[in-house]
Amino acid sequence: MRALTRRELLGAGLGGAALSGCSRAPRSFPVSNVSIFKAASYGPEVYDMVERMLAEHKLDVRGKRVVLKPNLVEFDEHTCINTHPVVVHAAYEAFRKAGAHVRIAEGPGHRRGTLDLADAAGYFSTLPRFEDLFTDLNTDAVAKREIRQPESKLTSLYLPHTVLDCDLLVSVAKMKTHHWAGATLAMKNLFGLVPGGVYGWPKNVLHWAGIPEAIVDLHHMFPRQFAIVDGIVGMEGNGPIQGTPKAAGVLVAGRDVAAVDATCCRIMGIDPRRIEYLRIARGEQNLREVSFHQIGETIHSVQSDFELMDVWKEIRGT
Amino acid sequence: MNWQDRQNSDGGWAYSRGCSWAEPTALVLLAQCATGIQENFGAGLSFLRSIARPDGGWRPQAGVDESTWVTSLVALLPAEALGNERHERAIEWMKGQTGRESGWGFRIRQRLAGNKGDFPDGWPWFPGASAWVIPTSFGILAFERALRFTGDAEVRERVESGRRFLISKICADGGWNYGTAQALGRDGDSYPETTGIALLALHGARESRELARARAAALRHLETCKTAEGIAWLRMGLAAHGQRVSSGSATRVLRTNVDAALTAMSLAERNPLLS
Repeated sequence: MRALTRRELLGAGLGGAALSGCSRAPRSFPVSNVSIFKAASYGPEVYDMVERMLAEHKLDVRGKRVVLKPNLVEFDEHTCINTHPVVVHAAYEAFRKAGAHVRIAEGPGHRRGTLDLADAAGYFSTLPRFEDLFTDLNTDAVAKREIRQPESKLTSLYLPHTVLDCDLLVSVAKMKTHHWAGATLAMKNLFGLVPGGVYGWPKNVLHWAGIPEAIVDLHHMFPRQFAIVDGIVGMEGNGPIQGTPKAAGVLVAGRDVAAVDATCCRIMGIDPRRIEYLRIARGEQNLREVSFHQIGETIHSVQSDFELMDVWKEIRGT
Repeated sequence: MNWQDRQNSDGGWAYSRGCSWAEPTALVLLAQCATGIQENFGAGLSFLRSIARPDGGWRPQAGVDESTWVTSLVALLPAEALGNERHERAIEWMKGQTGRESGWGFRIRQRLAGNKGDFPDGWPWFPGASAWVIPTSFGILAFERALRFTGDAEVRERVESGRRFLISKICADGGWNYGTAQALGRDGDSYPETTGIALLALHGARESRELARARAAALRHLETCKTAEGIAWLRMGLAAHGQRVSSGSATRVLRTNVDAALTAMSLAERNPLLS
């Protein structure tokens, strides 16, 4: 079903943003730290990098329930659609060593065979006892939660207990372009929290509610988050499924998920102020490069333009 | 398959583990109907009755206060087992469900945008969303079952409309994905499970170029399909069009109760989803 073109959707969203700009006082945010690591491959060094991320951001997760939410989308042997299993395993080991009770959980939006998908993506072979550590969020028990001050047309959502009950939600996302949202990173990855068993495959209620606005609503429903974005091999062009691999050679992480996404955009050669969901979440003035402090590498040292579809050329920038 | 060992204490079945859901429970009961081996069938029915809603539909699990597409799956159970009145009320609830694109507002916007296409009614996964291939396929099958008991013209029309919906969603490669055949002008790829389910829902349709291409797509998917669920649907879809696929040609690990139930159905002599 094609209800509106992307341009029409963007236009509607801009109108909404302008209206919300009139009605709400601009918020300011403290300068957030974002870690950037150069990582040429999915080798053993990734494990050390993820441990350093946790240390850099002073995450105290001892005795806490931590849920790692990777991005599992499609059967793919070439690593560019799904979060690479080595990154997920590295995060699992780092949080486990830090004393957390760690689960891995995902609810793919396109394919129903979640465990088959995880197997094909290399999760069973990379993560020992994967099936015992994993919860399929599409089929977990759910509870209804109201959305306070929604940006989208949603007023409530059914969400899985596994994520509602956790102390820290870690979005372990993939760095990709996205044909509806411009880019899919740590915030958009949260669409996978919405249970397919209730809403179906894909989770079309989110599309009707407004994709950028629904991304922001989901983000606001989980105030305790951390983000790790796998850009070692990302995806450019017609993402999030039909694009082509892009070896960006980078891992990006931080407590402030919008800051992580904005930094990833700049690394991809995308102006985050032109990504609708980031603008709604932060306001344009809080998406300037000086709004974030990079730890490790600079954006300039790892920046590599991702190819954009013609309809998205207007978001090019840094 | 020992269904009792996998059954929850409330009588229902989970997808793999955890709480009971309507979909796996209905599919396990349908598989038992197909194989003729009934284990705690009554307890399964009791669970389903416990999650029926006053509006005539079914919720997908106890924690949800909304009737959804799973109503069509429950309506495929034998009416005598479910109860004739419950069955009729399920069909009535489904009659009120269409995709959001069936609304006048959407259609007027499409006409103004120059889209003069047909907008046949399908069924959504969740009320208020668009119609999609899988819920529409189950809607067709449930309404065909209902036509055994009723001459209701509306039910007959929705079957025809649903079939036109499916034909309109065929991908360039001949099969079906979940909904749209194109996004931003680019062709989408079809999937095994959706192609199998749509073929099943089009059983008995007059032979056409589209159906021949869909069967060819199903056979291609069967060679590479990585899920037991996909393989089972492909087998059932092809069998509904007279193409039996041997049971040994493609097998995968049965990871979930849905995998097991669908595989059992695909190997049975008689498909319990067909009227």
